[in-house]
This record gives sequence, structure tokens and C-alpha cells, in this order.
Amino acid sequence: MRAGFVIRKLLGALSTLAFVVVFNFFLFRIVNPNPVDSMFRGRNLTREQLDQITRKFNLDGSKWDQFVGYVQQLLRGDLGLSFKGNRPVATVIGEALWPTVLLVGTSTLLSMIGITIGYRAGWRRGSRFDTASTSFSMVTYSMPEFWVGMVFLGFFSAKLGWFPVGGLEDPGSNATGVAKYLDQLHHMVLPATVLAIAYVGEYMIVARSAMIETLREDYLQLARAKGMREEEVRRRHAVPNARLPVVSLSAINFGFIFSGAIAVETIFSWPGIGQATFLAVRGPDLPMLQGLFLLISATVIVANLIADLLYGKLDPRVLGR
Amino acid sequence: MTPKLWVGLLATAAIGAMAAGAAGSVQAGTTDTVTLTVGLTQDIDSPNVTVGYTVAAYEFWNLQYATLTDKAADDFAIIPGLAESWEGSDDGLTYTYTLREGLKWSDGEPLTADDVVFTVNTSRDQAWFNHSSVTANLTATALDERTVEIVSAVPDPKLPTMDVYILPEHIWAGPAADDITTYDALEGVGSGPFTLKEWKPGQEWTVVANPNYWQGEPAIDQIVFRLYTEGGAMVAALENGELDAANDIPAALFEGLASDDIVTVAGAQGGFTELAMNGMAGGLGDGHPALLDLDVRHAVAMAIDRDALFERVALGIGLPLTVLGVSPLQEWLPEIPEDQRLGYDPAAANALLDAGGYLDTDGDDVREMPDGSQSLIFRYAERSEGTQGAAVRELITGWLTEVGIATEVSVFDDTQLGTAVGAGEYDLFVWGWTPFVDPDPMLSYFTCGQLTTDVESLGYNDANWCSEEYDALYEQQNQELDRDKRIALVHEMITLFHNESTYVVLYHDADTQAYRTDRFEGWLQQPADTGPVIFTNSSPTYFNLAPIDGGGGDDDGGMSTGLLIAIIIGVLIVVVGGGLLVMRSRAGREERE
Repeated sequence: MRAGFVIRKLLGALSTLAFVVVFNFFLFRIVNPNPVDSMFRGRNLTREQLDQITRKFNLDGSKWDQFVGYVQQLLRGDLGLSFKGNRPVATVIGEALWPTVLLVGTSTLLSMIGITIGYRAGWRRGSRFDTASTSFSMVTYSMPEFWVGMVFLGFFSAKLGWFPVGGLEDPGSNATGVAKYLDQLHHMVLPATVLAIAYVGEYMIVARSAMIETLREDYLQLARAKGMREEEVRRRHAVPNARLPVVSLSAINFGFIFSGAIAVETIFSWPGIGQATFLAVRGPDLPMLQGLFLLISATVIVANLIADLLYGKLDPRVLGR
Repeated sequence: MTPKLWVGLLATAAIGAMAAGAAGSVQAGTTDTVTLTVGLTQDIDSPNVTVGYTVAAYEFWNLQYATLTDKAADDFAIIPGLAESWEGSDDGLTYTYTLREGLKWSDGEPLTADDVVFTVNTSRDQAWFNHSSVTANLTATALDERTVEIVSAVPDPKLPTMDVYILPEHIWAGPAADDITTYDALEGVGSGPFTLKEWKPGQEWTVVANPNYWQGEPAIDQIVFRLYTEGGAMVAALENGELDAANDIPAALFEGLASDDIVTVAGAQGGFTELAMNGMAGGLGDGHPALLDLDVRHAVAMAIDRDALFERVALGIGLPLTVLGVSPLQEWLPEIPEDQRLGYDPAAANALLDAGGYLDTDGDDVREMPDGSQSLIFRYAERSEGTQGAAVRELITGWLTEVGIATEVSVFDDTQLGTAVGAGEYDLFVWGWTPFVDPDPMLSYFTCGQLTTDVESLGYNDANWCSEEYDALYEQQNQELDRDKRIALVHEMITLFHNESTYVVLYHDADTQAYRTDRFEGWLQQPADTGPVIFTNSSPTYFNLAPIDGGGGDDDGGMSTGLLIAIIIGVLIVVVGGGLLVMRSRAGREERE
């Protein structure tokens, strides 16, 4: 891979990130110029106490001073103090990361079975398998995940009592080691299934259309003419050429692993990034929102960078562009 | 990804789910700790009592920290707490409290007058967030280990009530010498019935029984407060027995929730929702001049069918009261005389506006000012947060058109609304307040001193109205030490405020709660009959609860079904996955042939 290509992509990613930092800061300052007064409405506090809190959250001084302070903070890896939790944003986000990676990561991996199904459906376009799997995907893809979540929760948790209603672990659980891991898995079954159902259709549909695109290509005819088996033609010649759209979709989805699944995490009270975002918006907890947006943007930017670099490897023509 | 990897992943998930079910049943079988599990929708913001401010945090402090004087569950009457008795001086400025004998902190250290002195004086000097409204004018001195003298610099009708959380000096002196607001306060040392064991932010917090509590060890071993981000999920958990009680139940689910095992409670704490009109007393902004006319304000009040709002928007949950809520205790609220109530009467409202010269002179169905300068088009600021804003707006704006008043609606979030109201750039808005037990803070918000006269420094007076008469009454009640006389003064103030009508109180809200009756008994409403059972002012329920014979343990038996189902699902997945693998390898063989 050419060094120039890599450097160009890296610089692009960095400048996008810098833009996000600036945009993030001013966006939230415009939305809420003085959050302290509204947070403590009706609290019977003196003006001095309110001013003290304003200073604690670095909300005093001009917007420019606040911005310079924010950037200096960021460079030290400090994301500020959460209004709601009164704890460092970085700590709160750090705690929420693992549950989210576990949940969204698992369901993303599970839903990638849709790729295999999509390739097969596209290869045998019009077959009964294709019709069935496409219909299934269209249905799951169009179902809102919060709705599926509520239905699953109502049926499997509330009515049948097979799975816990929400959370990462049993209430007051002291479990450690394997028991803890298993407890978490038990809690994860419903939300992970809901998310996998939501994602699988997307993969299937994209993979199927990518495969159909390649069906018309001459090199498949050539491969067949050489006497290759159908299965081999599909695996060696069709699938590799149908990979590009699937790779970009996967990269974007992996980027979103860190952003969590707001609807599903909220419904299942899953203590991940999605739930943290929901709570921060409800706050509104500006430093948390700022930190979360930065994290989400950064991971999507990084995932896209990886996808770009992978593109270069998968399809050498990209390098020349 | 190869098929083998797929099968591996699926098998791992299946085994995990199976084993998870097993883990659940093992856990259920081995524990006999009596655990009460409470569902809530809001987390603690900080366990540090000098920092936190969420309702959930107060519930925790109520459990961990005892106070010198306690509040009766029924009516908040002052009862002995850490102090077994107290005596006041004739001038009402000095109170001497005698602590109970042998008081200990949960870690075994003795609890003495020094801890009280430390809490009162340090919180005053450092202006601790939750203490200073009580301790700002107080000075405490230890006369001996069990006797503490508290002197107030000004007459204070709240004394001898001393409902501030007493903190252990041996723990807090260190952080207080430094910056107390940075202390994490996770040590779990207190003098209340339960103390903190663990806080998992965003998930739950657990408190355990304090063996040294002055009333004796509680009958419950631990309480888990479990956070739900979705109210419907919390209700499901209550219904299937994962929870014993839940706070903040969505109104739409509340009505049908009561059953043989579940009792629902609409607990009123004095909180209310009001329609406010711009009284323009702060001198800022550009309120509609018609609102300066008391008759117009009365006409607006009479145009609104508050009974309909209570039934249709609040779904009948709460109390259909139309006076300012200044306390959860109803005795502070006056009965407004029949002829002053400003009840729903659009005909009278129209007549009042006609008499005032507000006529529709140009035939557009909207009245004009008597001098014809301006139409009666009011800017209505709707609050985006909360669930009732849109419904209330639809009804109110509809009723106002019937008396010839038009509205222009804008939607604001709380910060924007607070700023717009402070700047006086509104005519009408709908919002609400929740008062403290003592009526003083709520009454203070509508004094002239709380008007916003500078947008950089917002005051509390969002009625944007003030009167010398009200302020004089406020000062009087603030120093009146005779409770009955003080109540009469407060009634007078609320009636005056009601008649001035920059606030039209629409209804009093309630906390929607529910608890199960099959595992614990002893639930207490505070105040009796009208109040909530949990998240009350001093949270007496928890100590009063006892497990019902055969209930109360952690065993719920539900997991074994879960295990069975998990095994079935697991086996299915393994079979399907295995089948796929076999098919693949067969296909591979065919190719090689």
C-alpha cells in the first residue's frame, strides 16, 4: 500500500476529529448557555453557592476562555466533570464501555450471519431460499428495535419470566469469576437477540445486492468456462468482488459498537454507552454529552479510516484515486 | 467468516445462556439474606452529602444519616432522633439537645456531641450545599459528650427541628480540611438504619442494615435500589416479582397496575403544576400589557377548566387543588372562599373582559386592548421536558380562544425556559414546583427580593409579581414561633397570592409508586393517607418493614424455568449450528470429489 495514500487518509481523519472537537464545544454552549441555574431551580441556594458550582464546572469566563480550557483539558485526557454524576466524564464513560462492547459487539458478530445468507440468496436469486430470506430480512430490518425490545421484554421477561427484565447483573449480586460472567450472559440474551435481529436484515440485504451486482460480470462466465464448479466460482470469484459494500457497512457498524444502542440499552436498562447517552440527554448533562459525542465521532472516524485502508487492500484500484 | 467460526460462536452463546440460567438458580438457592429490591428511574448523583442533589441521593442519605430530631411518619411532627430531648430558651434563640446514651456509628466509633458540633459549624463555615439552608445562622457548642447547645443568630421558627444529616467527624474531618466536595463518600459509615455497601453508577446501589442503629437493627438485611431507564420495564419487573417496590411509575401504566399482590400509591408531596402569567414586576422584558390588569388575569383563570385538566392530563393522579403548594402537609394550605375561587366559568370571563373594554373591534375573534393598540395575543411558552406539556397546551389554548384570547406557542427546554422567564420574554408558561416540608422556602420565592432584575443572575420569582403586603407577611411568618399563628399567616399569604393570579395553580401532582404485599409488610405513607411510601421526606418505611413469613428471602424459583428454557434454546442452536457444519463439510467433500 502506498505511503501517500495512508498519510492522506490519516490527515483526513485527524482534521475531521479536530472539527468535531470545536463543533461539539460550541454546539453545547449555544444549546445551553448557563446550565447551572436551570439545574438547581427551586433548590433554595444562594447566588454565591450557584457561582461556586459554575466555577467547579468551568462555566465561568468568556466562551473563548472556556474553549481554551476545554482543549487543554482534552490534551491531558480529561473530559471534565459530569453534572449529574459529579464524577469525571472519562471514568463514567470508561465504566459504560465494557457492557456496550459486550452487548453490541456480540450482536454485531451474531448478525453477520446475514452476510452468508445474503451471498447465498443473491447467488441463487429468485429461488425459494432467496424469497424467504429476503422477506424475513425486510421484516426484521423495518421493525423498530425499541418495539421488538418491548415485545421481547413483555413476553419473555414479564410474562414467561425466563429472562431478567433488565440490567447487567442480578440485583445485589456478589458473584465473581465465572458466575459473574454467566450472570451477565443471562442478562444479555434478550437485548443481544433484539439487536442481532435488528442488524441481520441490513447485512443480508447489502450482501445480497452486492452479490447480484457481480452475477453479471464476465469473469464468472470465464471461470465457468474453465470448468470450475459453481460453488468454487461463487467462493473464489463472486464473493471476493461482492465484499466492498459489506466491508464498509461492517466498518461503520463496528464504529457504532462504542456508541452503544440507545433504544435497546434504555429499554433493558443496560448500563452501557447508549444508556449513558440517554441519561445525559435527559439531564441535560453537557460534559457527558460532549464526551460521548467525541467518543462516538472518534470511533466512527477510526472505523472509517480502517475501512478506507482495507479498501485499498481489497481493491487496489482505490489506491490510485 | 468461516462456517466453523459461526458454529463456534453460536455454540458459545448457547452454552453461555444455559450456564447463565444455571448460575441464576445456584445463586437463588444459596442465599438467605433478606433483601428488599426497589426500582427507580433516577440514579444517585453523588453519595457525598455536600455535593449531590438528586431525589435518589436524598433517599440514600435518609437511610445512612440519622438527624438530631426526626419527623413523624404521619404528619412530620418533631420527634426525638439522635437527641432524646431538648430544651429551648425563652427568647427562642438557644436550644440544648441531649443525645441518647451509647450512640455509635456503624463502624463502632462513639457518636458524640463533637460530631454534631463538627457538622453544624463546618457546614455553616463552608456553606455545604444541603446543610447550609438550615445551619447558616447556627452555632453549636458541645457542653459535654452528650449535650450540645445550638444558638441561632436570628429568630428561627424551624427550630428546634434539626433535620440536618449528622456526619461522622472521624471520617469527614480529613476531607473537610481539604476540599470536601471532591470526597467520594463511599466509606458507608453512618448512624441511620442502613449504610452504603456498594454503588454501581448507572445500575444500582446497595445499603446494608446498621447493627448500631439507635432504634435497633432493621429486620431487613439489605436494600438494593435498582435503576431502570424505561418505566415500562420497571413495571414488568415489579409484576414478575424481581422488585418489591417501584417509584416513578409512568402515569399511563399506573391505573391498571393494582392487583392482589400489588398496591399502588399516588403520594402527594405538595408539588404542583401552574400556568404563570407575566406580572412584569422585575421590569425586564416585554410582557403583554393586558396582563397588568387583574381582571384579565382573573378572566384567564376562569377560562381554564382545572377539573378537566386534572382528570384528562394528570389522569386523576394527585390532588385537584388550586392553591400554591408550600408543603406536603395539607394544614398549611388555606381553603379559598367559594366566591374567590375563580373556577371554570367562560361566561363570567367573557363578561369581565367586556366590562374592562377588551372588545373584538375588528371581527377576527380576538379581543383588542381598550385603546385598540394591540390584540390579546399571548405568547405561550411550552416546556419540552416532562410528558404533559403538549396536552396541557392544547387544552388551555383552546379554552382561551373561547374567551377571545389568542396564543402563539413556542417550545423550550428547561434551560431556555428558565432564561426566557428570567428575561421576562413571555406572556404565559406552564411549569411546576415541589416544596420542602417547611413552607418557608416556597413562600420566599415570591418575595420582591427574588425578582429577576438582571438576566445574569436569575431570581426564583418566576411569577414576576411582588407586593409589599406579601413581603411583610413573609417576614412575620418567618419569625412567628407560635405554630397556629404562623399557619394563619401562611394561609393569608397563599390566599393573597391566589387572588393576585399571576399563578393559576392547575393541580397538585403525585409520585406514582407501587409495592408488592407478598414479601414485606409495614409500608408507611408519609404524611399519612396522602403521602408516598418511599422517597418521602424522611423515609421511615424501610426501618418499619419486616419480611412476611415464608417471603422476604431471595428465593423466587423463577430461574429453574429459565434454566430449562435456556437448555432447550441452547440445544436447538447447537443442533442447527452442527447441522450447518455437517452440510458445509459434505459440500466440501462433493467439491473435492
